[in-house]
Amino acid sequence: MAGPLANYRFWAYAGLAVLLLALPLVGDEFWLNRVAKYLCYGMLGAAVALTWGYAGVLNLGQGLFFGIGAYAMAMGLKLKSYTSLQQGSDQPVPDFMLWNAQPGAPTELCCITPGSWLWLPFQWQWTGVIVAVVLPVLLAGIMGRIIFGQRISGVFVSIITLALVLLVRLVVVDAQPLTNGFNGLTDLGWLTVAGHEFDPYAKGTYYLVAVALILVLGLSRILVATRAGTILQATRDSDTRALYLGYDVPAYQTFFFAVSAGIAGLAGMLYVIVSEFASPSFLELSFSITMVVWAAVGGRGSILGAAVGAILINMIEARVSETEALVEAWKAIIGLLFVVTVIYLPKGLSGLAHDGIARLRMRRPALRLKEEAGQ
Amino acid sequence: MTAALMLDGLAVDFSGFRAVDGVSMAVAQGELRVLLGANGAGKTTLMDLISGKTRATEGKVLVQGRDVTGLREHRIARAGVGRKFQIPSVFSGLTLRQNLEVAQSRRPSVWSNLRFALGMSEKARLAEVLELIGLEAEAGREAGLLSHGQTQWLELGMLMIQDASVILLDEPTAGMTQGETAKTAEIINRLKGRHTLLVVEHDMAFVRDIAERITVLHLGRVLAEGSVAFIENHPEVKAAYLGKQGIA
Ligand SMILES: Nc1ncnc2c1ncn2[C@@H]1O[C@H](COP(=O)(O)OP(=O)(O)OP(=O)(O)O)[C@@H](O)[C@H]1O
Ligand SMILES: [Mg+2]
Repeated sequence: MAGPLANYRFWAYAGLAVLLLALPLVGDEFWLNRVAKYLCYGMLGAAVALTWGYAGVLNLGQGLFFGIGAYAMAMGLKLKSYTSLQQGSDQPVPDFMLWNAQPGAPTELCCITPGSWLWLPFQWQWTGVIVAVVLPVLLAGIMGRIIFGQRISGVFVSIITLALVLLVRLVVVDAQPLTNGFNGLTDLGWLTVAGHEFDPYAKGTYYLVAVALILVLGLSRILVATRAGTILQATRDSDTRALYLGYDVPAYQTFFFAVSAGIAGLAGMLYVIVSEFASPSFLELSFSITMVVWAAVGGRGSILGAAVGAILINMIEARVSETEALVEAWKAIIGLLFVVTVIYLPKGLSGLAHDGIARLRMRRPALRLKEEAGQ
Repeated sequence: MTAALMLDGLAVDFSGFRAVDGVSMAVAQGELRVLLGANGAGKTTLMDLISGKTRATEGKVLVQGRDVTGLREHRIARAGVGRKFQIPSVFSGLTLRQNLEVAQSRRPSVWSNLRFALGMSEKARLAEVLELIGLEAEAGREAGLLSHGQTQWLELGMLMIQDASVILLDEPTAGMTQGETAKTAEIINRLKGRHTLLVVEHDMAFVRDIAERITVLHLGRVLAEGSVAFIENHPEVKAAYLGKQGIA
């Protein structure tokens, strides 16, 4: 069965890629900057689909990995900011550290506030870039080994991840001298690669994010299409069956959990480059739950669907928010949307598209034969 | 020749209650052994002990001469033990073909499965097993949409393609129609020789169809062991099935 219907998945991915790369032709810089943020959310949608849809693990603390990615990048960029270079030291020192320092503390990154030495490696911006992805992967690896290794599943995983993100949020807010607490990290510099500065409002930055999203979606899709991806879905459907076929089920769950965490970390990193701030609000429960809503509406069984769901919902939200009266109503609308999809469209929008295409294919004679051979 | 499956004084103590209490038996290569016993005799628990679901408190399990006692479930599976549970379990969100592919993978680690293609011999074997379980026409269907009988056959197919040397089947015909039971007997008969089987079954007509030797469990112990005719006329076995006038 050749033709576009057989390969409709490929064409859907290709179509989105072309669309994303063509957007700069139609929009101005401010709009593109906003869309770039939504593309980061798209990565989060894909990350949620990977664990929730493919592994059957509902992580209610995905914001933790996004937050780590965001903070790591923001630390690197904070030290590149103009204000950090203005504190009378030959090394950059974040402005908020001075406000939080004990009287008489030396204006040096090593020792201005307790623990400020943790910032030292971030003088090299690539530390931020690397930590943003590697730390979530490592942390997820350890979490996965413990959680899945103990055969914890279902709602208990959700509760643990949820508790963990809230815990980390408390620590971040509390560690004011190190993180600027509630205010988050603002007033950041720009990422510079080979002399090119990634101005958040330049098209180059939009392309950086768009290409990253396309790669993330494509590679994730390929990953779930491997045998390992099939085995992961098998563990979702029946972990005992997989176990008794000889698979180390926790290893599969942990692997994909870590991949998903890495994607979320990357999303957080790019988000900071685009939005120029990192805030403890990334670690709030509501944000992690919002990601789940995006994935549910777009379709958690589809990497692409979940990403598109995230992007679309945010675009609509931006539109709606322009009308003052609708800002509050939006929260109700999104809640309602979630309930309606869960009840009437459990596979989300992508499931709807999928079924539509399946119906089209059924009309073909070759396939009708096969149907008759069945029952 | 070493026995394919050897149990040596296997026992488990559930805080004082010994559900399996010193079971020893040897199942020869390619043999099909039926495990009989009244409700609660310890048949399922015995399979739990062999497959690692429950840890034995005493005794040993040897698979092809290799001691697997106390290993984790997936390790025992890789040592060659395949198991079908009382309640059929397949991967409902995957197609039938994918179910078999998952069962077929020889290399269990994540890294070695980051690849796509099946080899030619693997494809051929997959087609062969689909034919054996008579579900070629359903290969592309989601397993969750199969009938109860078809689900059981798929699970049998998964055990075949897993190439387990020892297969444990817990009541494979439970809930089946007569026609389905007959087909199941046919599939199981074809497994003999290539695999060694231990089958728990209540349906005596079915047992007569498939069994060579029978082991009878009673209160966690081996009560008798022998041919179908020997067991059917065994006075103690009849007594153990008290109130049921012998075996139905
Ligand atoms: N984990 C456990 N803890 C305590 N008792 C258990 C446990 N598992 C099984 N038992 C008990 O062990 C006995 C044997 O149970 P088992 O399931 O092995 O019987 P069976 O022979 O398979 O019976 P059936 O024909 O009903 O399936 C039963 O009395 C059961 O209640
Ligand atoms: Mg039982």
